[in-house]
Amino acid sequence: MNKNLVSFLVFVVGLAVFHNAIFPIFTPKEVGWILNRYVYFLLFVAYLIITHLLLRLSPPVSLKGLFVWSVGFYFYDYVLYPHIPWTLFITYMVMWSIGTFLYISQDPETFREFRAPIVKTIIGEYKLARIVVFTALPILVGFATYNTIYPSFQEPVELRTVHPAPPATTKVHGKTYPLESTNNPFRIDEQDNYKDSFPFLDADKHEYMKYVTEGGTIFFQNCHYCHGDQLNGLGMFSHVFNPTPANFIDPGTIAMLQEAFLFWRVSKGGPGLPNESTPWSSAMPPWEEHLKTEEIWKVILFEYWYTGWHPRTFGTEGSTSGGGE
Amino acid sequence: MLGKNTRSIGTLSLGLVLALAIYLIPGMTGIADAKEAFAEQVFAEEAFAKEVQAEEAVEGEGEPEIEWSQDVFYKDWEGNPLKGPVSGYAAPELGPEDYNTYEFAPSRIILWVANQQHLYFGSFVLAVPIFCMIIEFIGIRTRDDDPVMADKYDRLARDLMKVSLTAYSWTAILGGILLFTFITLFPGFFKYMAGIFRPVMHVYALMFLAESGVLYVYYYGWDKMMDDKFLKWIHCSLSVLLNLIGTVLMYLANSWATFMQAPGGIDSEGRFLGNIWHVIHSTLWNPVGVHRILGNIVFGGGIVGAYAAYHYLTAKNEEEKAHYDWVCYVAMFIAIFGLIPLPFAGYWLMKEVYAFRQQMGITLMGGIMAWLFIIQAVMIGLLFFGANSYLHNGMARVKGSHRYMKYCKYMVLLLICCFTMWMTPHTIVMTPAELKEMGGAQHPVVGHFGVMSAKNTAVNLMITCTVLCFLLYQRANKKITVPWATVGNCWITAIFIGAAANIIFLGVYGYFLPANQRVGLSVPQVTSTLTTLFAGTAINISMFKDSESYGDIQWGTQSKVGTYAIFLLAISFTWLMGLMGYIRSSVRLFWHVTEVVRDNSVDAYTLTIGEAGKMLTFNALFVWVQFVVVFWVGSLTAKKIPAKAPEGVPVPAQQQQ
Repeated sequence: MNKNLVSFLVFVVGLAVFHNAIFPIFTPKEVGWILNRYVYFLLFVAYLIITHLLLRLSPPVSLKGLFVWSVGFYFYDYVLYPHIPWTLFITYMVMWSIGTFLYISQDPETFREFRAPIVKTIIGEYKLARIVVFTALPILVGFATYNTIYPSFQEPVELRTVHPAPPATTKVHGKTYPLESTNNPFRIDEQDNYKDSFPFLDADKHEYMKYVTEGGTIFFQNCHYCHGDQLNGLGMFSHVFNPTPANFIDPGTIAMLQEAFLFWRVSKGGPGLPNESTPWSSAMPPWEEHLKTEEIWKVILFEYWYTGWHPRTFGTEGSTSGGGE
Repeated sequence: MLGKNTRSIGTLSLGLVLALAIYLIPGMTGIADAKEAFAEQVFAEEAFAKEVQAEEAVEGEGEPEIEWSQDVFYKDWEGNPLKGPVSGYAAPELGPEDYNTYEFAPSRIILWVANQQHLYFGSFVLAVPIFCMIIEFIGIRTRDDDPVMADKYDRLARDLMKVSLTAYSWTAILGGILLFTFITLFPGFFKYMAGIFRPVMHVYALMFLAESGVLYVYYYGWDKMMDDKFLKWIHCSLSVLLNLIGTVLMYLANSWATFMQAPGGIDSEGRFLGNIWHVIHSTLWNPVGVHRILGNIVFGGGIVGAYAAYHYLTAKNEEEKAHYDWVCYVAMFIAIFGLIPLPFAGYWLMKEVYAFRQQMGITLMGGIMAWLFIIQAVMIGLLFFGANSYLHNGMARVKGSHRYMKYCKYMVLLLICCFTMWMTPHTIVMTPAELKEMGGAQHPVVGHFGVMSAKNTAVNLMITCTVLCFLLYQRANKKITVPWATVGNCWITAIFIGAAANIIFLGVYGYFLPANQRVGLSVPQVTSTLTTLFAGTAINISMFKDSESYGDIQWGTQSKVGTYAIFLLAISFTWLMGLMGYIRSSVRLFWHVTEVVRDNSVDAYTLTIGEAGKMLTFNALFVWVQFVVVFWVGSLTAKKIPAKAPEGVPVPAQQQQ
């Protein structure tokens, strides 16, 4: 049999078998280190390589390019879980397509080899292929046009910015705080010293844990409905908000911010966000209307203690603000 | 020469590395030095201030009293704002009478176009003398060994200078247009700036005169200084002088922009505090300067490369093809060497922006400008793709390269994986349904790529990969014969594997550290990357001693894909430069001078991403139209003289038809 055809069958049949028979085994309810979808994907790639080596198959570059591109598509569309948003999928596929192009055009020889079947199809050397391609193309264009103009009732995508730029100062309960130089008054010690302590049990032993405990109490009274009892943004009301409440466990949220930023954000809530980049779609109330200044600081202390993140500081990075050069 | 024999490659590479180091070291060490110098300066100023105040106290009434005010930026060593004598007027509260408009376009858009066009051309005319300096130097150094190639280098440097001459007057005209645009459309703002920068503007004009003088002597004296060895060195020295003056010019002009973004030397009312150096030398001055020098080199390389690529594709004979293929290579070589340290200079700039105002940093990286940074990430990725594609394709025309070509596909895979990580946004654009499906705003897998730990790792790996690709290109046609070849290869392998392991380890480790410590990890990551660049290149070049050649580079046989990659690079550079310029400028939001002069014009809004994109594309296309015109004007006087080898000198294979 034609070796190229064998190679093609190895890919297509292999993919069908792997996807329908082996994939379910690797996606159990309890995901493990071995039984997970990414190990499955590596196995599939290994199968492709090993089968080609064993059968001494060396498909032309155009076929290799097709395999490489399809493997990328398969990974992003089926293997990667949960499914990534459409915009990201398109971006990733553009990247992968560019990569595939770089692969096939890495030298003139491979590029010529890649172009050969295309040229042969166009000039009519592959008659059947030409008929198929030139029949399919207008149908595809028609289908794409239909798809584009068919009315869709999905909510439009939103181009959000995640960190609003804070103002230089904020006024809470009649006092003005310069954001760059304000620190948490309850951060009286290094939080790592209390890693093994527990808020409510050790509240009487350490002053620091007393503040954390008070912060925790306020958090569970007011904040956990949205931000979650594990501070992961998955509180009981979280799924009705878009965007979902901030996930403090994520290294990209409070771990990247100064405590004063949080103080401003918590105090002013959604209504206090700056004008640029509106609409912010933040449902957070301005907590200064419900909490005292000290309570806000204590909640912030608790959030950092609980997540293990440290608030961002600029003083220790070697380039303090305003120090000149 | 380039790619022909080992010595010249060594000379060129080392020369470039040294040149880069010379440019970078002052910037990097400058902070420490400047802080020390600043301490002394502040001490002297405080002592002087006390003296003056004491004198005032003694002299009592009757003498005009000097008002002292606090600097908005500079602080003394106790952290208190530095004081200076008020020496200027307060910043004006601008009103409608301070802005003029045309009906056909908003004033700010007109100013943007004028400014951007001037900057593009300015960048080009500052970059070309750097090129000429390097190329002429190589030409002089190789004259004894290879007069034919030396002549080629010399002619190339001269051709570039000829184009630059036309571009130079063009730049001046665009500068004039920019100045008139400022005066006519933003008179109130310009009056304030002129009040502060009055002496700098005059020095700038005088430096322009000096630049013109040296430029004309340098270009028109080329023939006269050609034959005598001593005079030729003098001629080459003139190019150094030309570059020095050009750099000073650029730094002076930069001071206006950096002052607008992060002012210093004035009080909160905008009154000048008597020290012009403070105003010039505000916090972003050094990083912007270094970033722009590197950017200019890359941009200039892109333009020269595209010019040569066009001629390569349209060449009528083999000789022309070989020549322009070689010019493409020289231009790309210089551009890529500028490109590699460019992201680090960018990081430095961003670090200083954050240090100046956290608010500004967040607006840039996480706030309203964040999506423009995502676009920037895509463009930078394209640059690395283009550069690697050019190198891969270029390698194919070198005999003996088959030994290394097989690694290209793995490098492409690494690049793509890193690029995917590099450009994954922290906040993904999605519909509410997709949000629900993902179970939160962050994806549990790719969401980890949205933070700096991943980005730093990705970009460092991409650069390391490009360096590796370049090393393989260098040795593609060489059969290494030094007795320590195995040891050398082991060292190179160890350096690259070690660097990659260190970069990845630090990247992962960063996730477990607080943000302020995580920032510090970028330093060892960058050091690992630079080690591969410097140590890898040095060992690689040393191994070429007495190497046997598999054959010369077949100039004129570069593939079309590789040549088109150069166009991609050139256009990407242009667009990217415009984009970053726009970001840097528009981060001031509604301020002409941050927190001092408010922009009260009707144009004080931030453009939507789409509108900004259209303007950037317009600017990029417009400048390329002008470049085409300038190159065409430059070609009007061109005489095609075939390169002839002096008698008695064997013609290198690549010159033979």
